[in-house]
Order: sequence, then structure tokens, then C-alpha cells
Amino acid sequence: MESHLAYLDAGSGSLIVQALVAGTAGVVVAAKLYWRRVTSVFRRKTPAEATAAPVETATPAAATADKD
Amino acid sequence: MTPEHTRPVAEPGSFRDPQTRVFHADGEVLRGLGAQAAQDWKALRDSEFFARAQADGTVTATEEIDRELPGEPGTWSATLRHEPLPFVTYHYEWSHTMRQDAARLHLDLLQQALRAGFTMKDGSAYNLQWRGSRPEFIDVGSFEPAKPGEPWAGYRQFCQTLLYPLMLQAHLDLDPRALLRSQIDGVEPAQMRRLLGGTKRLAAGVLKHVHLHDSIQSRNADRSTGAVREQLRDAGFNSELVLAAAKAMAKLVTKLDWAPPATHWGDYRETCSYSDDDRAAKQRFVDAALDATDKTDLVLDLGANDGVFSRQAAARAKTGYVVAVEADPAVVDTLYRQLRAEGERRILPIVMDLADPSPGGGWASHERASFAQRAAKADVTLALALVHHLAIGRNVPLPAIVDWLAGMGHTVVVEFVHAEDPMAQRLLANKPDGLFPDYHVETFVRQLGERFDIAKRETLPGGTRTLIAGVRRA
Repeated sequence: MESHLAYLDAGSGSLIVQALVAGTAGVVVAAKLYWRRVTSVFRRKTPAEATAAPVETATPAAATADKD
Repeated sequence: MTPEHTRPVAEPGSFRDPQTRVFHADGEVLRGLGAQAAQDWKALRDSEFFARAQADGTVTATEEIDRELPGEPGTWSATLRHEPLPFVTYHYEWSHTMRQDAARLHLDLLQQALRAGFTMKDGSAYNLQWRGSRPEFIDVGSFEPAKPGEPWAGYRQFCQTLLYPLMLQAHLDLDPRALLRSQIDGVEPAQMRRLLGGTKRLAAGVLKHVHLHDSIQSRNADRSTGAVREQLRDAGFNSELVLAAAKAMAKLVTKLDWAPPATHWGDYRETCSYSDDDRAAKQRFVDAALDATDKTDLVLDLGANDGVFSRQAAARAKTGYVVAVEADPAVVDTLYRQLRAEGERRILPIVMDLADPSPGGGWASHERASFAQRAAKADVTLALALVHHLAIGRNVPLPAIVDWLAGMGHTVVVEFVHAEDPMAQRLLANKPDGLFPDYHVETFVRQLGERFDIAKRETLPGGTRTLIAGVRRA
């Protein structure tokens, strides 16, 4: 669905900075994103979540969480 | 293809987005749209936002036409025609205030687009061009309907090609043109970080857009943008935040002012060696040369200084367009601000050292055209009090200057400053005696006569400056 959007490499880090530039509400979003990254290590993923976020399941941390 | 049209030629600078491509044919500017882009265009065309941007001229005048374009069958689902630009310039040829206004327009359009449910695919300075002293957004293919939770893909590009160059000039008094000219994608966050260390971290916008940007970028280098987009959406990112970011950046851009230093050229007219008689005679000569020329659609004023002759040419060539080329960024900035205040749409000031004009750039050196390539279509070239700077100041041989002029306007008006003139003496004082034995008006006129038919020649009352009008031989 979004394939036509992304002719330009927006830069994964640049997308997050954009949230921080947007003020308090954006900082909250970025904080939530980082918090979710941290807690994803301890969270048990449902199979649906695992397929929805392929990058996360590919990381060793996520793989360990899956084995729990 | 309809038989009455010549085959459109692809614009070398418009290949990056495979969904849209610009073509040139018979002086027309056409744009092919792929299936998705054609769908986006239909939504844009029917929007109030686009109608407003067309009416106020902030987005290039565009209409849909029925014309086939080159490409594999089915590549293009729709064809657009844009109002052509009199002269294309790149951001490494703009003064600081021009860059500031261009950046402001980009962010303004982004905000309007977001409010109307659209977004922009990119954030490049190359999508901005000028009609005189007014910036214009040329890439209609950049607009598309926004998707919920989607960040602005062009933020990094905007930083690299517009925001960082403004910061370099405003915070460090460092002209960014050299970096922009050599790096087509602009200045990298990591480069900026090295330049803006120490207390400069506290300067407006630096901590967030430079330091944080660079460090978050390197920490996320191994994550795909798709994954991060999804994480952002899950964390509650929405288009209100893009709007807030655009607003914050617009505020920052306005803060990034630069006060040009007082330069030698800034008060040139007060210090130069003309008498009032000289100036009046020179103006009459230039007017007569312009009156004698059939075609004055594009006039180049090379070494334009404060733009007095650019203005004169614009007044004389009633429908023509004048590009005022000047090497001193402070002088161009002042001229630009004056022209902007007057609402002048037919004089475009640009910054360029004519002994080192913009080369071709980007892919295969063709993505961005060289100045020589763009100047080739000029009708008239004014080179007033320029030759001595090139010949004495930069050691360019006179025949090479003549060849260079012959690559531009059909009609040329040259002012040759004699070696005895105080301004030439000032330049000669920096060079060993006798270094330029051939620097003489008779030599120059003879050499010019080999490429141009000399139409008129006149020495100003002061006796140390000669004006020559020539028409290039076919």
C-alpha cells in the first residue's frame, strides 16, 4: 500500500527526529516508541504481532523473547 | 504520438521518482504520470488547496493535456503541461534570503497540503525555482494524499538542502554554496555536527536538527524506514505532528537571518571611477543596443553588481527576462531584497563567480545543467566592466573570453576598461609589470570581430572605457 510513497529513502532516524521536532506531543510519541522497543524484549509476542513486525522478530532480542 | 509535435526529450534532472518524469518538446514542459501518480494528480487537481496554489502562483501553472510521451507502453497514464521557466537556477546560485524564502514557501505549501489531506513526497531545494524575485514550487508530482500516521518523507532532504545551508550562513557566516555545488544531496547531518560543535550547539535549531538528528540516525541505521514508520504509527504518530513539525521549522527558518557584511562591491557605485557623463553615455549605448535587437526574451547581465543595468534592460526589453549574475553574495542578497520589495517578476539575481561558473552536477554530470548550457539560449549578453576582472584579475586570455561570450547571447554588449583606468590599475597593481602586453582595446575589438559583427563602438567621455556592441556570426 505504501510502496509508491517511498521512492525517497526518508532515513529511519530522520523519521523519529521529526516527531521530536513536533513539540511535546511528538516527544511523547518518540518516548513511547523507545519504551516499546525496550519492553518488546520482555513482552511475549502473539503470532499476529510477530508477523506484523518482521524486523523486530528478526532481532536476536525478539527471537529470545519468542522462546520464553 | 501526434504528428505535429516533435518527440519529447526526457529532462535529465527528473528521474528520481519513477512515477513521474519531465520531458521537453518544442519549448513546452511536459510531465508523464504513472498509474499511481495519475490517481494522486486527479485528487490534487480537484482540491481547493491546488486551485489556491495555482491562483497565487506558488505552484507552477499546470494543466492536463492529451499527449503521448516516450516510454514503454503503459508507463504514462496521464500527461501534464507546465508553464516553462524563463531560466533554471539551482540553490548553489542563490543568496541567503532567496534560500530563506524558498524554504519558507516549501514549508508553507507542506502545511497547506497537510490541512487539505495531502502530503509531499520529498523536501528538495531543486523543486523550487524562481520567476524573478518570486519562488515557485515546480514539482506537482510531489503531492499525494496523506495516509494516517505517516511522517513527512522529505524531512531529511529538507534539512540537507535547505535548513542546514541556512544554518551554516546564519550561525557560522559560512557560505554553503561550495558544499551544495559538490554534493547533490546537500549537507549531511554528520558534516553539520562537526561544524557546529561547542557553544554553537545552543544556536537556533542546532541541537535538534543537527546533533539529535545525527545521533538518532546512526543509532537507527540498521532499521528499515518501513519498520520505523510502523513503530511510529503504533506509538500514535499522526499528521497533526507533521503539521506541528512544519510549523516549528517555518519559525526556525524565519529566525535564521543573516546580515551581509559591508563589502567592497556593496558601495561600488560610490567608489567607482565613472563620471555622470560616463554613466549617461553608457546607459544610452546599452539602450540603443537593446533597441537594435529583435529578440530580447532572455538577457544575461554578467557582473551585474547592484543591478542598475539589469533594471535598465528589463525596462527596455518590455517582455524579456533578465538574469543578473554577480559574484558577491552580499550584493546579490541586497539586490534580491530590493527586487522582492518591488514585486519584480522579470529580474532574477543569482550568485556566481564567472571565472568559475556552475559545472554540470549529479548523475553523469547531467542531472544539473552547467551554467554554460543554460546560458546558451540567451538572446543578449551584457558584459559591462567585466572583461578586466577576468583578463587581469583571473588571467583569462582575451581570445578565451571572446569564445566564452560567443557561447552565450546572440547580441553582446561589452564594456572594455582600458589599462589606464583607475579600476584596471587597481587590479594590475597586484600583478607583475608587463604581464598582460595584449590587454588593449584594439586587440580586444579585433578578436571580438572574429566571432561577432561589430555593430557599434564608443569610448566614454572619460576616455578610459570603450563600449562595443556585436552580433554573433551565424
